[in-house]
Amino acid sequence: MSATSETPMAGERPVEAVAGTAEFLRRVRSGLNDGLDPMSAAERAAVALPKTLRDSVQRMGRRMAGRYHEDEWGFDEEFAEAVYPFFEFLYDFWWRVQATGVENVPSHGRALVVSNHSGSLFPFDATMLVGAIMKEHPLPRWPRPMVLNWAFELPFLSSFMRKVGGIPASPFNAIRLLEQDEIVMVFPEGVKGTGKQFSERYRLKRFGRGGFVEVALRTGSPIVPVAVVGAEEIYPKIADSQLLAKLLGAPFVPITPTLPWLGPLGLIPLPSRWRIEFCEPIDVSEYPPEAADDRALLFEISERVRDTIQEQLYEALVRRGSAFL
Amino acid sequence: MAPGRRVVITGIASHWGSELARRLEADPTIEFIAGIDTAEPAGDFERTEFIEADIRNPVLARILPGTEADTVVHCGILWYPEPGKSARALHDINVIGTLQLLAACEKTATLRSLVVRSSAAIYGCEGAAPSFFTEEMARRYPLKTRFQRDIGELEGYFENFARRHSDITCCLLRYQPEIGPGLDAPLARYLSLPVVPTQLGFDPRLQLLHAEDATGALAAATGNPVRGPVNVAPRGTISLTKILRLAGRPTLPIPHPLFGPMFSQLGRRLGAADLYNDGVMLLRYGRGVDNTRLREEVGYEPRFDAEGAVRDFVSKNAASRRLFPSPLPGAVAQRIVRSR
Repeated sequence: MSATSETPMAGERPVEAVAGTAEFLRRVRSGLNDGLDPMSAAERAAVALPKTLRDSVQRMGRRMAGRYHEDEWGFDEEFAEAVYPFFEFLYDFWWRVQATGVENVPSHGRALVVSNHSGSLFPFDATMLVGAIMKEHPLPRWPRPMVLNWAFELPFLSSFMRKVGGIPASPFNAIRLLEQDEIVMVFPEGVKGTGKQFSERYRLKRFGRGGFVEVALRTGSPIVPVAVVGAEEIYPKIADSQLLAKLLGAPFVPITPTLPWLGPLGLIPLPSRWRIEFCEPIDVSEYPPEAADDRALLFEISERVRDTIQEQLYEALVRRGSAFL
Repeated sequence: MAPGRRVVITGIASHWGSELARRLEADPTIEFIAGIDTAEPAGDFERTEFIEADIRNPVLARILPGTEADTVVHCGILWYPEPGKSARALHDINVIGTLQLLAACEKTATLRSLVVRSSAAIYGCEGAAPSFFTEEMARRYPLKTRFQRDIGELEGYFENFARRHSDITCCLLRYQPEIGPGLDAPLARYLSLPVVPTQLGFDPRLQLLHAEDATGALAAATGNPVRGPVNVAPRGTISLTKILRLAGRPTLPIPHPLFGPMFSQLGRRLGAADLYNDGVMLLRYGRGVDNTRLREEVGYEPRFDAEGAVRDFVSKNAASRRLFPSPLPGAVAQRIVRSR
């Protein structure tokens, strides 16, 4: 106990932190005078800083020199961990997410997580699903969400999505990821799901052409249906602007009670209360991979998954009670 | 012992043609190697015979059967202008040249296999494209640039030829852009700029193939040609940001609508001319291809992965060391002390 309190910790003693920073700046200057470039000078001087700050200075230096890992999809785990606290804040305090049945996501091997899709402006449901698995699962792994293709043609959004693990929604990508034994997250409703009117909330749209079942059958992956309640209320879409959508090339541009009336403030999602309920996995390993060509079977399984999610949605809605309080 | 193989390489004066010839010279099962080009290749060869001819010229149909070749390796497709081969001539060399070569191959009764060094540009560079193209996914997107259309056209001729001659093993290699310590190409020059312009908000995933693996894959495919297209790429991908950080290059992000016009200027300076449109798209969206066929069917395992190729380029390329003198007085002083 006494041993730990003697070591200087970041933020514990403000005076020490200030002294540390001054010493740090002095050392950076002497490093620069020795002919080091600014990044290595800062890295060398970081010994004067408290541990956590020192670590982040060193991490910055390492990253600026290109010494960090990206997987073949462009996923940068360190980056994802760096932005994670923001989403954790949304998870814990803004939306007060309650997740149940997370253990239905297998701890090892491939799995296809299938969810309803909502939250017109920005599909936060994907980020909260990632949060639920990372926070609540006994053996957390980063799931890989399939993201609307349009996002990958835009500056900033495209590189951000990729770095946090998003993948352009394509069956080829899903199959390759599942063969690498990853957790893939899909939203078969697609844009039709995020773009639905507030009055249609929690009523599932068509599940595409059942492509996700095809992917699961080809790779023998269990399907984990998930119901997400709460994302429909964050940007209640009461109308949409087709003119703006055409101008931006966007699938749709929502008009909500706050957007665009409050300007940038309208971008703040409403603090609804969320429930994320993971259902029992559906095992498709009894079917051979060739069954993926059987349209009738695809539709049958797709309908089964859709019904499961729809029922779970209604139950979760009742369990949640009031939408905001 | 059966008589050895007889190999004819087109574009012998190019980097790839001459590198391949040097590799094949060491192979005792190859009895005869000849190279065709308009200009004599630089450097010495042990036993490669040089035939001066233009593949665009119909006279090739008389020369090629005379060599009694059983394997033709077409390295005459150009990505960017080279000395003596101007940007204007590229379309002619790539399309008409391939057409004439295939016509000459029809007349060569001894031919058993044909290997064409082509480009992965046929897949295009699209934001929402599958992250790893496999060989069946060519032409999923419209061919937008001149170079892409040329590649599309010559792939069409190639497929037609392969269909008509089922007894000849026709192998088409789709190369990702190459990089290497000794390779002077527009991309290497781009990565060696003192300040590298990038497209604001975009960070493409790239697969840069190490020059050594590029030659290695070509030699492997010559030894063991398989039917149809084969992607030639390293394992994994690397983002442009990471490449530039590894190279220690400062970047200048420019909003992408302005990038194109500015880059046609820069492209000319880098020696890529109007082909730079391909570069602009590549440096916006990137491209990944799947190399399973190369590894499992051709049997070539690239030595460098995507990151390894860049690291090797950076460590050995003198031009890619920091050109920038540090603006700090200490560094200047140290440099003076060191130079004594």
